[in-house]
Amino acid sequence: MGKIIAIHSYKGGTGKTLFSVNLAMTFALKGKKVCLLDMDFRAPSLHAILKAKSEKYWLNDYLNGTCSIEKALIDLTKLSGGKGKLLVGLANPSTEAIRDMSAKDRKWEMRALGRLLAMRNSVLGEMGMDYLIFDTSPGLQYSSINAIVSADIVLVISTIDASDVQGTKRMLTELYDLFEKKTYMILNKVLIDYTTKKGKEELSEKLGNSHSLPIFEIVPCFCDILKAGGTRIIAKEFPQHFFSKTLNRMAEKIEHM
Amino acid sequence: MKKRDFSTKKSLIILEKIRENLEKLNQKIEVMIELQKHGKPSNEPLADATAPLDVMTLLSMPDHLRKTAITVCRLGRATAEEVAQQTKRARAVESGYLNQLVLMGYLKKERQGRKAYFYVDKDDNNKE
Repeated sequence: MGKIIAIHSYKGGTGKTLFSVNLAMTFALKGKKVCLLDMDFRAPSLHAILKAKSEKYWLNDYLNGTCSIEKALIDLTKLSGGKGKLLVGLANPSTEAIRDMSAKDRKWEMRALGRLLAMRNSVLGEMGMDYLIFDTSPGLQYSSINAIVSADIVLVISTIDASDVQGTKRMLTELYDLFEKKTYMILNKVLIDYTTKKGKEELSEKLGNSHSLPIFEIVPCFCDILKAGGTRIIAKEFPQHFFSKTLNRMAEKIEHM
Repeated sequence: MKKRDFSTKKSLIILEKIRENLEKLNQKIEVMIELQKHGKPSNEPLADATAPLDVMTLLSMPDHLRKTAITVCRLGRATAEEVAQQTKRARAVESGYLNQLVLMGYLKKERQGRKAYFYVDKDDNNKE
């Protein structure tokens, strides 16, 4: 059976979608079957990065119970040059759909949780996917917590901004631990100086009590990634890039978990 | 010979009935113990019978009940034995927690023969 990974953060703009897309691509380039879902229904973004559009059904429809998960997925294996398999479930970016998803009640969220949990059997079981990746919305939103509860591994992305680190620490004890999730922290957009041995010690001091943090990777801020403006998939287009190599290392660690 | 067979069968039926009654009594006692340990006093009204078991509710639950509730969400429909296999806790303990969740209105319980199944009532007939 494959693994379900939720990519989450306390604040917005930390790089969840960047990591979700590139981690999915890294797995696909390794020949793995990956299903990537945009769980940020309030600010959908995968459609823009992958330049894709759903013909008829969106992920919203699956969670509404109006279609099967197979119908809500589109095959984008062409993006990995035919390597592995890359299925994507897009969140509907229309204002009407965003408004509709923001007004769901607790009973709907309960059913949505049931449908996400059922994907272990449908997507990993029947469809035989190796990885199911949830790109979530930041903070304590229903859709994010539903995804976290359904996942095996949570990758929480934080910048070194004090409010982000504090919020992430709080989520570690008051959210992920309560659901007994294997959680790993990725420090993103870190100054390149902090990636050296001495820099890491300095960073550790800056974060305060960092020994208790389950730090998975420290990723520097790259101007070329910022310049790309979310229009290029680094792992595919620049396999020798430091960022792509970091993702390869992450993928290997996840494979052996 | 036939008479003896008949009386053995009859005593087996009686024993089976006694066993079933004892099991029911045991479950009731477990619920009472759990309510005394963690729950509200029995004279206080329990939660609404249709309380949705959403993630925010799960977050606000005490740890021991959250573990049981999430396991039922994952399994869909399960007996206390099946839940106990997942949580690695004793069947009797899970039975107590499950019955407590039923009383709180988060789970539904249904008997099928000698087995009791617990599930989340998703009320799918009223889709939005």
